[in-house]
Amino acid sequence: MKTCFTTQRRHIRFGGPRNAGEDFVCMYCHNIVSVQAPPGSCHNRNHCPRCLSSRHLDLYAAGDRLSACKARMRSIGLTLKRTPRKYATLEQGELMIVHQCEGCGKVSINRIAADDDDEAILSVFEASRRLDSQANAHLIESGIFLLTTNELQLVYRRLYGREWLRQT
Amino acid sequence: MVRRIAVTGYAPRLETVCQPRDIPWLAFLCIETGSITLNALLNRTNPYSGIVIKKITNAYLVQSDAGNLTCTLSQRLKQQSTGDPVAIGDKVCWNEAAQIAVVLPRRNQLARRSAVPMPGAHAHEQVIVANVDQIVPVIAAASPRLAWRLLDRYLVSAESAEIPAVVCITKMDLVDSRPESEEIEAVAAEYRAIGYGVILTSMVSGQGMEEIQAVLRGRLSVFVGKSGVGKTSLLNAIEPGLRLRVQETSQATGKGRHTTTHMEMFPLQFGGAIIDTPGIREFGLWDVDQDDLALFFPEMRPFVGVCKFGRSCRHDEEPGCAIRRAVNAGLISPYRYQSYLKLRAQP
Ligand SMILES: Nc1nc2c(ncn2[C@@H]2O[C@H](COP(=O)(O)OP(=O)(O)OP(=O)(O)O)[C@@H](O)[C@H]2O)c(=O)[nH]1
Ligand SMILES: [Mg+2]
Ligand SMILES: [Zn+2]
Ligand SMILES: [Zn+2]
Ligand SMILES: [Zn+2]
Repeated sequence: MKTCFTTQRRHIRFGGPRNAGEDFVCMYCHNIVSVQAPPGSCHNRNHCPRCLSSRHLDLYAAGDRLSACKARMRSIGLTLKRTPRKYATLEQGELMIVHQCEGCGKVSINRIAADDDDEAILSVFEASRRLDSQANAHLIESGIFLLTTNELQLVYRRLYGREWLRQT
Repeated sequence: MVRRIAVTGYAPRLETVCQPRDIPWLAFLCIETGSITLNALLNRTNPYSGIVIKKITNAYLVQSDAGNLTCTLSQRLKQQSTGDPVAIGDKVCWNEAAQIAVVLPRRNQLARRSAVPMPGAHAHEQVIVANVDQIVPVIAAASPRLAWRLLDRYLVSAESAEIPAVVCITKMDLVDSRPESEEIEAVAAEYRAIGYGVILTSMVSGQGMEEIQAVLRGRLSVFVGKSGVGKTSLLNAIEPGLRLRVQETSQATGKGRHTTTHMEMFPLQFGGAIIDTPGIREFGLWDVDQDDLALFFPEMRPFVGVCKFGRSCRHDEEPGCAIRRAVNAGLISPYRYQSYLKLRAQP
């Protein structure tokens, strides 16, 4: 069969995905993860709050569960979500985690939940600075700019808020 | 004295199906010749046999060359079976009391789980149609909402019953020049690539009528689909003399009102016949071996057994799964793959 089965069913809803909205066990650190993120981060989780690992389950849109890849998505860095407002400064964007699939290389950007582990986020930030230039070029091609040492202060401020400012 | 009959060229042996004394002419034939073939039983010139075209309370309408006849069940047939031993499409022979005495071996059958009479009781299989040439799953482009996943369910039922399927998508006028219509065309093309015929119709514009007639001509087809998708409307358009009752779907929910309440076979002027059914959700998927499910998705068949874990792969989380690889490569639709997983979880 040579035909490519790639029609996205955009207009006609396709029933709910299997297992949607069920708690899951992180396949990598075995943490039991509740899908409902704590208040303040009003979205469903797609990564483990402890090790930040995710899985490649979505294909066309967040939550569609149409991907058959299902490999681990490793957090590879941090970025800021670009706001639709034209004159918004970099500072105003939401801090996001960049995940990359270990199976197929797909990159996705995900919101941070209120209870995502700060230490883990910081170590992702550290590790991202050692990302090889080829990987970085690939990200830039897809329009994703990882935060660099220049934005260290910004990351701290986002994670620890005013408390951190007072301490320093 | 009636001699036992020897059956040749057809399984199962006739002795297991009936006793010659159940049918007068058969007994006669046995005395005369000593042996017959089942093919002789199927012979249309036999005045005591016909096809069940409708079920009425405690009786069956049987069509034969001599006209339609209302039959009941013979005592023996009643005692032998827990459920209803006769389905629409069955070829049957009756005795002098106009009782169905023999149901001839079926070429194929479509069954569903019958309602459980009391909690804890065992649901048993209820055969609803037999000996059909094709199943026509009918789904609506809108109102009620297009149900691709239900379509996959019907198609798996058809595959497991080894009956060819041709899909009909009705009410295309409701999505005319809307983005949905392009999407339906594209998805229909995917189903065609798998090997299923897909016909898009509209009772309003007349779209697809010639196509569907060509597919139905000379064959016994059964329409299946949710209430309100337009099965009976389609039949009325194909055979205008019928004037069967149809009813608008609910304005608020788009759901049908279960207008057709019983099954019936309607012969077509141009040859063939259609069995119209009330909205039915499920067909015998419960007896499909879960490990075989992928075989009932024709586009998955080439990959079954190729996985790292061979035939024991469930094609879900297993590493080295050939089916997942094929989905990723665009050789299998991710939506059909989801249907597979869904049906595995809830057969
Ligand atoms: N716009 C539009 N309406 C249609 C079309 N076909 C059927 N309908 C309408 O859909 C409604 C339901 O049609 P039915 O033929 O009763 O549906 P059914 O599938 O037989 O439903 P049940 O007997 O309840 O299982 C009726 O109001 C029909 O007029 C179509 O092609 N276009
Ligand atoms: Mg009807
Ligand atoms: Zn984890
Ligand atoms: Zn992947
Ligand atoms: Zn597999």
